[in-house]
Amino acid sequence: MRLPALIALWMGALSTLGWAQTTKAPPLLAPESWPRLPQRLVEMGLQAAKAPDWLVSIGSFAAAAATVVAVFLTAFALLSLIERKTLARAQNRIGPNRAGIFGILQPVADGIKMLTKEDIVPTKSEWFLHLLAPVLIVIPSILALSVIPYGRDWLPVPMELGMLFFFAVGTMTEIAVFIAGWASGSKFPMLGAMRAISQMVSYELPLIISAMGVVMLSGTLSLSGIVEAQAGFHLGFIPAWYVLTPWGFVAGFIFLIAANAESNRCPFDLPEGESEIVAGHMTEYSGFKYALFFMGEYLGLFAISGLGITLFLGGWQPPLPGLACVPSWIWFFGKLAVVIFFFLWVRATFPRVRIDQLMRFAWLCLIPVSLLTVPVAAIWQYSGGGALGWLLCSAILLIPFVILTVRFNRRMATSNRRYTFAE
Amino acid sequence: MTPLSLLLTLSALLFSLGLFAVLTRRNAILILVGIELMLNAANINFIAFWRYGPPDVDLTGPLFVLFSIAIAAAEAAVGLAIILMVFRHTRSTDLNRLDSLHG
Amino acid sequence: MIPLLILSPLILLAALGAVWKARPVHAALLLALVLAMIAVLYLTVGAEFVGLVQFMVYVGAVAILIVFALLITRPGDEAAELARRPRSLAPGLACVAPVLGLLLYAIGTGVPGEAAQDCPPAMPVTALGLELFENAVPAVLAVGVLLTAVLVGAALFARDPASKPQPPIS
Repeated sequence: MRLPALIALWMGALSTLGWAQTTKAPPLLAPESWPRLPQRLVEMGLQAAKAPDWLVSIGSFAAAAATVVAVFLTAFALLSLIERKTLARAQNRIGPNRAGIFGILQPVADGIKMLTKEDIVPTKSEWFLHLLAPVLIVIPSILALSVIPYGRDWLPVPMELGMLFFFAVGTMTEIAVFIAGWASGSKFPMLGAMRAISQMVSYELPLIISAMGVVMLSGTLSLSGIVEAQAGFHLGFIPAWYVLTPWGFVAGFIFLIAANAESNRCPFDLPEGESEIVAGHMTEYSGFKYALFFMGEYLGLFAISGLGITLFLGGWQPPLPGLACVPSWIWFFGKLAVVIFFFLWVRATFPRVRIDQLMRFAWLCLIPVSLLTVPVAAIWQYSGGGALGWLLCSAILLIPFVILTVRFNRRMATSNRRYTFAE
Repeated sequence: MTPLSLLLTLSALLFSLGLFAVLTRRNAILILVGIELMLNAANINFIAFWRYGPPDVDLTGPLFVLFSIAIAAAEAAVGLAIILMVFRHTRSTDLNRLDSLHG
Repeated sequence: MIPLLILSPLILLAALGAVWKARPVHAALLLALVLAMIAVLYLTVGAEFVGLVQFMVYVGAVAILIVFALLITRPGDEAAELARRPRSLAPGLACVAPVLGLLLYAIGTGVPGEAAQDCPPAMPVTALGLELFENAVPAVLAVGVLLTAVLVGAALFARDPASKPQPPIS
């Protein structure tokens, strides 16, 4: 069972190839294009060997995909350690410190443990769908990672409809979660899958609507075009990122919350809340398949944080004017580190919400406010973004904020909750 | 066989399969599956004529498909809401058992 | 042409499964597969925007809705479905065969023999957007109103009429 899963995973990674096109070439050894070195070397090698054109392009795309996969699998391994260390620090513990100095070899140990565990397939499950689900979880994450511009010269797959592609492949996760829950053939996975799907469907709406203002103002669906639309500085030192406008701040914040929910992280981790439903849709998985779920979750977190950075935080644009000499991908990954640390901090701070609170929060708070950011973005555009625009847009956005705050505070203050069993 | 006639044949067969599902299935949700197949068959026709038919500068085919997709989503949402409501009353989604108006 | 020749039989096979599988969840999952492969078909003939929208709406929303409804209603009785098969097969085929025959006859006689265009006609997203919001504005507005009405209507429909008032938030 392990080998077919591995093969299918690599097929998924390689299927990103079909999407790729070549871009023009800057100098080979500039730090700016270090991440593209493998791709360039493969291209040059194949051309030197007089390979036909289609072989050259396939090889080039394979190298580009392999770079992205390698980078983010390393990041995944590091993050799994950093997350445990950060959480431990927040909870006054030490965290993993046995394998290597500061526990630096912990991901390796975890990996070996996962790979050598027995792969259990429940007798009541449907083995094919049971095998398919973890693969389907990982593929959309890798596909989504392949359209994000990581640097001025590092865009694995240039696409005119990059943002639409990102959201389109993201929807595949829901089907995969359903398959995982259903194919396991037991109760907890089914309940977890139902929770996960309803949560993902609800939070996808604010996620997409809050990205709408960005598309309106930059006038393109291509992610590199959106990054270029955020170039330059106001007053010489304030970067022209969308997060530094009134509507962009609100939309970015909504995007952050929805992204947190979309990647099933605390405080929105009900689908796999350990104390309630074991591990949700992953309950019946073990060994390498479980590791695939884990991997898909973290790769999805990277992808959606990367999209948030691209849309609101200026992508690979440097934060201050004089810093353009530093390679642009360093800025991207710096911002990625900050955003991921924010997610870890949130996880360490907030308690888990209840399922009705989760749904109500999405439908009554996030969706109306995110709908409001779309016209406000238009007002911002036509008011020219001066003092008047700031005043007008902030005023419009403050109204629902005040209303919602008052409303929720009043509701929070009183009334005991009567707990009833689920019907 | 030209690409146009290939796509049209594909869509005709898909339409027939959808029709067959609508006619023979008894579960209301699976009838909806058949309806989705038929709608998609029509969409394939639009795209086929836009791509392989006479030049179409107004993009009528893709536009129509976009509208059709939006309406299909609406239809699925309303249809399933109705089915859920019926299920709540009769505890069944089998259309043959919905005979309480039977004389 | 070659991608079409590969995709078409796959789509038809999956659609056949969606129509024929007795277990409802399998049928729904195969429908999702059909819809996804039709999206790929659109991508290969050059209608990228339509293909991605198809993927997002059909696979992400419609298929999920259907699967979810199946979970809530829990249709059983595969045995009854299988037992009814032989009886419903003949009338079903008898109704479908004339339709299919007519369609295939029309395709066989009415379609011009040679392909009209070699390369995919251009469909830039900006042109599509301008077309949508300049010439097709009434239709866009109508669809917007329809979708809003559906959102409200479906929420009202699906609400359990007998349910107790929701617990307060907190």
